[in-house]
Amino acid sequence: MTSQASHLSRRDFLKAGAIGGATLLGSGAVLGACAGGDESEQAGSSGTVPESRFVEFYGPRQTGIAPPVVPTLGMMAAFKLLTPDRETLRDTFADLTDEIQGLMSGRPPLIRDEAFPPTDSGILGAEPSPDNLSIVMSVGSSLFDDRYGLAGKRPTELFKMPFLANDRLDPARTHGDLLLNIDADHPDTLQFALRQLMRRRRRDLVLHWLVEGYTRGAGTDQMAAGAPRNLLGFKDGTANLDSHDPAMMERFVWVQPEDDQPDWAVGGSYQAVRVIRMFVEFWDRTPLAEQEAIIGRHKSSGAPLGMRNEFDVPVFGDDPEGARIPLDAHIRLANPQTPESEENLIFRRGFSYTRGFDGAGRLDMGLAFVSYQRTMSKGFLAVQDRLTGEPLEEYILPEGGGFFFALPGVTDEGRFLGDGLFT
Amino acid sequence: MDGIKLTKVYELGNPYLIPMPEPAGCRNALSVKKKGSLNSMRLRTATMLMFVTTLALVAGACADDGAEVRVVSDEGSGSVSGTGSGSLSGTATGLSLEEFEGGTDNPLVQQAVDNYKAYVAEQIDLMIAGNEVLADAIRAGDLDGSRSAYAPARVEWERIEPIAGLIEEIDGAVDSRVDDFEGPDDPEFTGWHRIEYILWELETTDGATPFADRLQDDLAILRREMSGLELPPAAVAIGAAELIEEVSEGKITGEEDRYSKTDLWDFNANVEGARQVIEFLRPALEQADPDLLDSIDAGFSELNATLSTLRDGTGWVLYCRENDSYPSPLCTEVTVTQDTIDLLKAQLAGLSENISLTAGTLGLK
Repeated sequence: MTSQASHLSRRDFLKAGAIGGATLLGSGAVLGACAGGDESEQAGSSGTVPESRFVEFYGPRQTGIAPPVVPTLGMMAAFKLLTPDRETLRDTFADLTDEIQGLMSGRPPLIRDEAFPPTDSGILGAEPSPDNLSIVMSVGSSLFDDRYGLAGKRPTELFKMPFLANDRLDPARTHGDLLLNIDADHPDTLQFALRQLMRRRRRDLVLHWLVEGYTRGAGTDQMAAGAPRNLLGFKDGTANLDSHDPAMMERFVWVQPEDDQPDWAVGGSYQAVRVIRMFVEFWDRTPLAEQEAIIGRHKSSGAPLGMRNEFDVPVFGDDPEGARIPLDAHIRLANPQTPESEENLIFRRGFSYTRGFDGAGRLDMGLAFVSYQRTMSKGFLAVQDRLTGEPLEEYILPEGGGFFFALPGVTDEGRFLGDGLFT
Repeated sequence: MDGIKLTKVYELGNPYLIPMPEPAGCRNALSVKKKGSLNSMRLRTATMLMFVTTLALVAGACADDGAEVRVVSDEGSGSVSGTGSGSLSGTATGLSLEEFEGGTDNPLVQQAVDNYKAYVAEQIDLMIAGNEVLADAIRAGDLDGSRSAYAPARVEWERIEPIAGLIEEIDGAVDSRVDDFEGPDDPEFTGWHRIEYILWELETTDGATPFADRLQDDLAILRREMSGLELPPAAVAIGAAELIEEVSEGKITGEEDRYSKTDLWDFNANVEGARQVIEFLRPALEQADPDLLDSIDAGFSELNATLSTLRDGTGWVLYCRENDSYPSPLCTEVTVTQDTIDLLKAQLAGLSENISLTAGTLGLK
């Protein structure tokens, strides 16, 4: 993160009356903080439940990527498309768009004769309440293979996620033709949305993998606490891009008309998903000083080592030998704060997940990392390249995920997500 | 039987007209643990007639009338005709399928129900014949012959499973999987899958004869009790949907025939059974919602096209998936790829959605 962006974030937080606010895996927290007066009040009173609302679906970008309030829960469902042909694929995208729009706006279910199965699962009652539900639809590189004649439409940097350093990718939890990113404040809202979406095109969608979790503290109520903590106990997202800064978002997140990309892709965003297991028992047995040296931040305050506040910006130039923050500390590698590294800023929107335990009795949990960026090479891949070999690798293991492209938004009712693929 | 046009071997069993003695295994059959299957859950309120007092005249349902309906089978299609008119008059007491409000005013639907009753009766006859082959081979200690007879002996059951499953005690006795018990040695674990376990897992016919005997007894009870069963129209329509659910739930996962790997026999039989129901309902669906019928037809068509790639002679390849352990005595290589399974999943799911609308479309509750 550039110092410029960090200052913006800090100022926004101060404006919101929060003490050293933050961004985790999403800058939604920051977003909420600088929205309006009413939200500032909310942010100031700890424990306030975030305002529930319907998230506007229509817009030039998919609104769930940087929603006004980042909900507390997240889910990603990756599908294989078994659609037989291009025309049916078009119908599938149109139907899913309609379903997403209906879900996000709280459209009540259609009532039909009781001799039929009901049109919805009913788990949200007769009429869904607002719950900050947002759904983002992305596509994988495999959509552009020879099945649908879309090879010429592939965003130029969308390819199958390779094995990167330290990866042990499980094929059953990696890649996919279509990815649905569902966020909301309650688990039943997530489940409701998932079931409705799957049911709408059951003939076409086969679930490939699923991960769900939470972004504790990403909502406005958590502002005072700064960035949420990941399952290693460290604040994560402090230096995230501020999604309320349109200039920064245009520059680093959204594909622009002048980019070397297919026309339809403008307004979309490259999405990197990494399901990263954390070996938490091992981590918990590691001395605090070593943990902090590995991350580069104080565990308790979240401040860069040697500094006082979470949102203090580390000045690595003053510490060329890594006396304060080791040269291979995570935050130093991820963002060296150099002029060259500024172009590598990414917008993180991940969440923590848990999924039971493994055969060795160890908890199976970690970070479902998500980043959106304007280009994969200057964004996620550049950051990942710098992180290769970091000491943190000993405690984490990327096991799944994939590279996707979040489709551009839908500006009016006559259109649908991905319609540009079919023109 | 004047009105029946047969283009395949499709003999409606006159045996139904002959009162049958109560099989010896009857009491045992009624005491076995129930199988918690999809259909028995859905239809659990059905209380079954334990001892049929009057043998229903299912065969009579095909007496005159002449309405022609295609019959789906492995070999091709035949036709059978039927009439409604109260042929199934044998039930005296005790039968209530409380979840269903009852009959239909639609003569096309009634016709379909009557045809289906006749079809069920015919399938049970074939089932009993097929299981005689299996039982004879087991009694003769012929392991290869027993194994060969196993999958074919289950086909008719799988075609009519949701309806046959209305006789819950028999369902539990003949088609329970080992998961319903503490282990494969549980004496209450009976039926085809106990035999399957012995033939493939223990690799012998030793000890299988009592289970073969019992199976034959239970199927005889099934025949008797089914003949007295009043079939609500909705149960027939919903039964078609359940057959497809059955595939999605048990066959696609390889759970059903885990020892023999003959899941695709069952898979195909479930599909055939569902398609048969739709064939019988075709005139009614054509009238009520031709678009839905088209979608259902297209769904069967694409599913059968995918299935046809898994044919092996007159049978099917063993269900050896990528996740199975290799090599094993039965699976030397992957015969059903993950891509094929994914396609089947999608096609089944799409078909399920459409078939689940038939009862509502026909106004059946």
